[in-house]
Amino acid sequence: MPQLNMTPLIDCVFLLLIFFMVATSFAPIPGIRVKLPPPGLPQSASKPENLVLRISDPEPGTSVGVMVLNDNVISMDRLLSAFQGATLKQKDMLIIQSGRSVYHEQIVTIMDLAKRADIKKIGFAMVARESI
Amino acid sequence: MAPMIDCVFLLLIFFMVASQTRVPPRFPVELPDSLTRHAFPMKRFNLYIGREGLMSVDDNMMNGYDDLEIFLAKNKKNIETLIIKADRLALHGYVIDAMERAKRAGIEELAIGVKEGGGTGISVD
Repeated sequence: MPQLNMTPLIDCVFLLLIFFMVATSFAPIPGIRVKLPPPGLPQSASKPENLVLRISDPEPGTSVGVMVLNDNVISMDRLLSAFQGATLKQKDMLIIQSGRSVYHEQIVTIMDLAKRADIKKIGFAMVARESI
Repeated sequence: MAPMIDCVFLLLIFFMVASQTRVPPRFPVELPDSLTRHAFPMKRFNLYIGREGLMSVDDNMMNGYDDLEIFLAKNKKNIETLIIKADRLALHGYVIDAMERAKRAGIEELAIGVKEGGGTGISVD
């Protein structure tokens, strides 16, 4: 009685196994969680007790815009201590008012510092436009 | 031989079911670094934003924000968390516009993708 030759099938299965083992990645993606407010018109969230950080568009040749925290010009090095020194009420919300040409990296760094200083919410304020 | 072949078949089935292959964008994206970070399971529907403002969801290029909004609204049911992977030198305006469109499309939770292997692994909830 002729026997079925299993060798090519096993070769094939081994090749598939190697492909899936190499192509699979189980590592999770690192990121910063952002919960969006409900849809509708933009809200005016600014209150006198909020922390307000204004960032100007970077000057040509520079990568960081000038930052003003509650009317005081501040550098990135001192931002964490300023956030940590804020009152509990101020830590409820940080409002970032930035120009459109500020680099994403600067915003992520500020979000990182705010999270480390236990600021609960971050709001982005932009100039309202008719349509985007 | 038979037990080994059984074992290999089981491994093959495991990897076929569990695997999620990574779909890279068609343009380079260098993510910013951050010390605080959460871990998100690798899933489809990552929004890539290049430094020139190019956008793609996985490898589907988007021709503007209207296109993005329609795409996101169509796939809303399958998107638990939209991970925005913007280049560190992309303009903040592009990211905000994309977030606005995601909100309009009904997406409730976003994540800002940061560099893999960077930071110190501080997790914040």
